[in-house]
Amino acid sequence: MKKSKVGFLFILPWLTGLVLFTVIPIIAALFISMTDWSIIGDANFIGLENFKAIFEDQMFYKTLLITVRYAIFAIPLTIFTALLVAISLNNQYKGTGVFRTIFYMPSIVSGVAVAIVFKWILDPNYGVLNSLLGILGVTGPNWLYDPDWVLPSYLIMAIWGASGGLYIYLAALKDIPKELYESATIDGAGLIHRIRYITLPMLTPILFYNMVIGIISAFRKFTDAYILGGAGEEGIFYMVYLYGQAFSFYKMGYATALAWILFVIIFSLTLIVNYTKKYWVYSE
Amino acid sequence: MKKITGIVFIFIVCAVLSLTGCSNAGSRKNTFTFATWAAGVELQEFNEIINRVNQNADGKYKIEVLSVPSDYYIKLSTNIAAKKAPDFFWLTQELISKYAKMGAIADITDKLESSSNLTREQYYPGVLQSAIYEERCYGLPWIANPLIVFYNQDLFDEAGIPYPSPDGGWTWEEFIDIAKRLTTTKEDAFGNNYKQYGYVVDGWPNIETFIWAGGGDIIAENGVDVLLDSQESISGLAILNKILKAGISPSYSEVSSLGSNNVWFEKQRAAMFMGGIQDNFETKVNAMPENEQFRIGYAPMPVGLDNRSHSFNWTASTVMSKQVADNPLAYEIMETITLEFFKWKIAPPIKGEIDQVAKINPLKEPALDTIQICLNNARSANYVPEWNEINNSLWLKLYSKMLNDPDFDYESEAKAIAMEARELIAKRK
Repeated sequence: MKKSKVGFLFILPWLTGLVLFTVIPIIAALFISMTDWSIIGDANFIGLENFKAIFEDQMFYKTLLITVRYAIFAIPLTIFTALLVAISLNNQYKGTGVFRTIFYMPSIVSGVAVAIVFKWILDPNYGVLNSLLGILGVTGPNWLYDPDWVLPSYLIMAIWGASGGLYIYLAALKDIPKELYESATIDGAGLIHRIRYITLPMLTPILFYNMVIGIISAFRKFTDAYILGGAGEEGIFYMVYLYGQAFSFYKMGYATALAWILFVIIFSLTLIVNYTKKYWVYSE
Repeated sequence: MKKITGIVFIFIVCAVLSLTGCSNAGSRKNTFTFATWAAGVELQEFNEIINRVNQNADGKYKIEVLSVPSDYYIKLSTNIAAKKAPDFFWLTQELISKYAKMGAIADITDKLESSSNLTREQYYPGVLQSAIYEERCYGLPWIANPLIVFYNQDLFDEAGIPYPSPDGGWTWEEFIDIAKRLTTTKEDAFGNNYKQYGYVVDGWPNIETFIWAGGGDIIAENGVDVLLDSQESISGLAILNKILKAGISPSYSEVSSLGSNNVWFEKQRAAMFMGGIQDNFETKVNAMPENEQFRIGYAPMPVGLDNRSHSFNWTASTVMSKQVADNPLAYEIMETITLEFFKWKIAPPIKGEIDQVAKINPLKEPALDTIQICLNNARSANYVPEWNEINNSLWLKLYSKMLNDPDFDYESEAKAIAMEARELIAKRK
C-alpha cells in the first residue's frame, strides 16, 4: 500500500467526523435557512423569505447594534489589558508565577459561574462594586438594571476575563530577541521607547491573531448575556436573540438565517482586518 | 484507490446509520415512555406513581419514565424532530397551542368526550381552557395553581389594619391603600433601619393579572383579536403603574438583591404577596426559629374594574404524542396517570376535591375556603401559537421598562406591542 493511502486511512476517523458533524451541518444549515422549519413540524422551502424578514426586523438591528457597540469597546480593551498584564509579568520577579496563575484563572472558570459571581458583584444594593464605590463616597449605578449601564457592566466582565490571551502574549514576548533590547538600551532608549519600537512591532502577529479571535468571540457573546440579561432589551446580544428565535419561538429557519448573516459579518470583518495586515503587522 | 473510496463510503454509511433510529410501531406497542421535568424528590414521587400504575396494569402495558430535569423543552423538541418523541409528556399551558399547531401532539377531544372516568365537566373551566386550541382539546391538566393573596397577620395587627375577608370582595384600590399603610421604616435588632413594604411586584405577578384587573385582556378568546391596546387593558396597566409609583413595593433591583420575590414575604419585609396556592409558606414559616415565625392569612385576588376577581392560574397538562394516537391503550394510560396525579399535587384541577388539598398538605387547612374561591376564579391567558413572542415583547418592552421607570409611557408601548402581535397573528397559516 502506498504511503499516501496509509496516511489517508489514519485520518479517516477524523475526516468522517468532519464530514458528519461540520460539513453536512453547514450545508444543512444553508438549506434550513431557506425554510420555515420549526424543529417539530415539517420544513417548507420559502426561498429567501427569512432573510427578507430579518432585514425588516427591528430587533435584528437592535441586537446587532448592541453587539457591535460591545465589540467596539471590548476588543481593544481586552487586548490592551491582556498585553499590559503580559508585559508586567514578563520579567521573573518573586511571586511572578503566582500572579500569572491568578491572572490566567478567569480563562478556566466556567462562563456560567462567572456570570453568577458577577450578578452579585454588580448587585446595585449589596454588590461588592457599589460597596467599594460607597466607601469612596460615590453612589454606584444600577448596573444591569439601568439601560445606560448595561454595556459598562459587560465591559467590566470582559476586562476581568481579558487575560485569557495572557500566555500567548507571554510566549511571544519570550521570542523577542534580547539583543534588540540591549542595543536599544545602549542607544539610550527608555522603557516606553523599547515598548513602542521593539515590543509592540514584534508582537503585531499575535495582536493580529487576538484581534481576529476577539472579533469572533465578541460577536458570538452568549453565556453571561443569556444568564444575566440587562434592563429592557439592552442585554439582548445577537446570539441571545438568535437562540431565542430557535429554542423559545421554535423558528429554526429564521434562526439559521440569522446565523448565516452572523457568519457573513464575522467573515467580512476578518477579511477587512486581514487586508489591513500589510499596513501594521510586522513579519520577518 | 477504488478500495480506499469503498472503505470510506462504507465507514460513512455505517456512521450515518448508527445515528438514525428505527421508527416505533406506535399503534401496536404496549411499552410507553413518559417524559417529565421532575427532578429530586418530585421525581421520586413521580416514579412511585408510575410504579403503582404499572403494577395495577398487571402486564397490560408498561410505562417507562424519561426524566429531563434541565433544558426540558429543547430536548423535547429535538426528540420530536428526530421522530423519537416520548409517548406522553408534560407540557406547560403556554405551549399547548404551539405544539398543537405544529402537529406534535394528539387531539384527544373525542376520547375525553367519550370517557366516563374523567369528563370535561369535572374540570374547573378556567383550567381546562388552557389545554384547548381552536375548540379542540390537546391535554389533560393535572394541576391547578391559581393566585391567592398571602398576608402577614402579625404585621396587619401591628399596623391596626383589619384583615381582608377570606371570601374576598376587596378592590385593587383598597389593596393599594392597605399596602401603603403597611409600608413603613423599621429598626432591626442591631439598630439599623430597614423598610417594610406592603407588597412586592417584580415581574411577578405576571402582566395578565393587572390587565385583567382593568377588565382587559391580551388576546381575545377567539385566539385572533388583540385586546392589549383596549381601554380596559390600558386601565389595568394604570393599576400596575399606580402600584409602582406608590412606593409600596421594593424596586426591581432591590427585589433581586434578596434572591427572589417570595423571600420578601418570608423575611417579613413585605406584608402581602400574590403567590400560587401551592406556594409552601406554611411549612417554611413552621421551620423557622420561634421568634421569626408569623401567622399567615389568605384572601382572594382583589376585584377588578369589571367587578370580578381574576386568579391567574398556572397549570400543566399531560399530552400524548401523535405517534401513539391510534394505540387503543394510549388514552387509557394517559387518563389513569392523570387521575393519580390529582392525588399528588396542590390543587387537583377538578371540582369537589378541595379536601384533597388538606390531605396533601394539612397546613393548608385554614386556607381551604379561600383556595376554593381562587379555583373558581382561576383563569389562564388565551394562549395562541405566537404567545411566546408576544409575551417576550410584553416583558422586555413593557413590564421591565415599567419596573425600571415609573414614568415610562406604557400606553404607547402597549399599542406598539398590540400592532406587532396583530402582524404576528396575521402571518399564522
